Amino acid sequence: MMPFIDYKNVIPKTVIGLLVFLIVLIPVFTTNVATLSMLILSGIWAIAVMGFTLVLRTGQFSLGQAAFMAIGGYTSAIFTVKLGWPFWPSFFLAGVVSGIVALLVGMVVLRVGGIYFSIITLALSEIVRIIAQQWESVTRGTRGLITSMPDPISLGGFEINFFASTVPYFYLTLCLVALTALIFWRIGESRLGRSFAGIALNPVLAEHQGMYLMKYRVIAFTVAGVFTGLAGSLYAHSLTVITPYMLGLWQSIQIMIMSIVGGISSLAGGPIIGAILLYTFGTYLIRLEIYGIQQLLFGAVVVLVLLFLPKGTGLVDLWERFWRKVVWREEEYEPDTPDD
Amino acid sequence: MPPAGIWIDGLIQSCTYMTMAFGMVLVFSILGILNWTHGQFYMLGAFVVYYAITAAGIPFFISIGITGLIIAGLGILIKKIIIDQVQGDLYISVVTISLIFFFEGAASMIFGMQDKGLAMVLPGVINLGSFSVSYQKIAVVIFTLVVMIGMYIVLNYTKVGLAIRAAAQQPDAASLYGVSVERLSFIVMGIGCALAAMAGGIMAPLYTVNPFIGGIPMIMSLLAIVIGGIGSLTGAIVGGLILGFLNSVVAYHLSYFSEVVLFVLVIIILLVRPQGLFGASLK
Repeated sequence: MMPFIDYKNVIPKTVIGLLVFLIVLIPVFTTNVATLSMLILSGIWAIAVMGFTLVLRTGQFSLGQAAFMAIGGYTSAIFTVKLGWPFWPSFFLAGVVSGIVALLVGMVVLRVGGIYFSIITLALSEIVRIIAQQWESVTRGTRGLITSMPDPISLGGFEINFFASTVPYFYLTLCLVALTALIFWRIGESRLGRSFAGIALNPVLAEHQGMYLMKYRVIAFTVAGVFTGLAGSLYAHSLTVITPYMLGLWQSIQIMIMSIVGGISSLAGGPIIGAILLYTFGTYLIRLEIYGIQQLLFGAVVVLVLLFLPKGTGLVDLWERFWRKVVWREEEYEPDTPDD
Repeated sequence: MPPAGIWIDGLIQSCTYMTMAFGMVLVFSILGILNWTHGQFYMLGAFVVYYAITAAGIPFFISIGITGLIIAGLGILIKKIIIDQVQGDLYISVVTISLIFFFEGAASMIFGMQDKGLAMVLPGVINLGSFSVSYQKIAVVIFTLVVMIGMYIVLNYTKVGLAIRAAAQQPDAASLYGVSVERLSFIVMGIGCALAAMAGGIMAPLYTVNPFIGGIPMIMSLLAIVIGGIGSLTGAIVGGLILGFLNSVVAYHLSYFSEVVLFVLVIIILLVRPQGLFGASLK
């Protein structure tokens, strides 16, 4: 007997798989540094955006995710440049430090949550910027810290050299994006993820069911902090410099915009789509050399997305709608997405 | 003890933060959302006053009134075509935050990124013994006093004010008694935006004008709201006063780290008294 194949489920997933496979194989087609570093940076933003989306899942609205990138980036930059540590331990330490800061801030602020949380995370990103700017002896102030690529790794007779080409760093970023996406996807599918959605949907009900709201919020915020810190470390070492103004309030808002445009109904797909599309778009707009056009269009894009794709379904929902409506020509039905 | 100039600077800053925080709380109490774009209305107000004086030659005080009207119209327009169409409180916050980007981008494209200085429109100083105060600064203080007293009279002794207070307390009950909360929300949005714009306009001759001046007043008035308690108008005024004086006095002693001190203070207040100094208990 033929096993039943749900082709409506399998074919879109195969297409996604092929796209991912193509991205993995990009260094085979082109080793152009500009293309690769654009992909690297959009991957790094994608990790940060995934963190933001995880926090948003619990109904909390963080405006300081770029601050965690800055904490991670400065941690690994300080340890490699000032203390002479190799790249790898400082890379992991960046995640740990960022996670600890997220844990402490979360334990203080997530008691109240809501608007207070947004305001305090916004203040946090300003605090990080001021400290990075004023603590001259450690962070070199506005001049920034000059970092370098990771040291070469030798595996048997084969050597991975990060200085010779951008390809190894591309794969390093890709690995971290894949790991983050996998972990976040598993969290979203697990009991923990359903608890997150539950406390966002109805905090009062969740509390009466015996869920300790703050615990789940702090877990989400800390996990997001760890991965955002790792992304920040990659960011600092990829640009080989980190300055106080690189990761401030505007970058936090940019992360929020990428998340909303990509769609918050999925923890991995939406953020990756949003980050890649908006980062590429933003880089193109910067090349036009018209000051302010990037902010103007980013702001307009969010307004349009929220007006025409309501409830934060974002672009990732268009993908499903494309298959349902254009390819399979199904009847209309309302997708149920987690409300605010 | 810092010199008197520092205290006067603190008073000027308090005036801005008070006016902006007052508008934000007013909008919050009726609409139930924080208008994160408030700082950008401050910036646009400063630009309107700058161009009204330099390009059209309109007198200073009339141009401040014009600014209030224009930006109130803009705020009502945004409420009508964007905020009302978006569903969900969370996404309304997202929209108003991304409008920050939109307005700053638009302002830097239209007006240019460079600093613009407005000449003192009210020249002259008043001598008070050991120090002197310019008329411009006195105008800021008087303007804030007039606005606050005006808002007090409107809120306490007129029908609109009664309706606003009722709708802030119990929107459903207010609408049962014939108050159109919908129309009221437009009025309140207009008043809030006009207050921010007029604060920006009255401060324009004191500082430079560029597309990014809205950020600091916005963050500060947000912190003032947190100190005073979200939803409390008295809290907004007291929070603005505390923050303005503290900012300039601490900056006198600690220079750049003053903002860190302020943020830490706000976090401590959140820990000890999450509802703020004047707020009712949290919802």
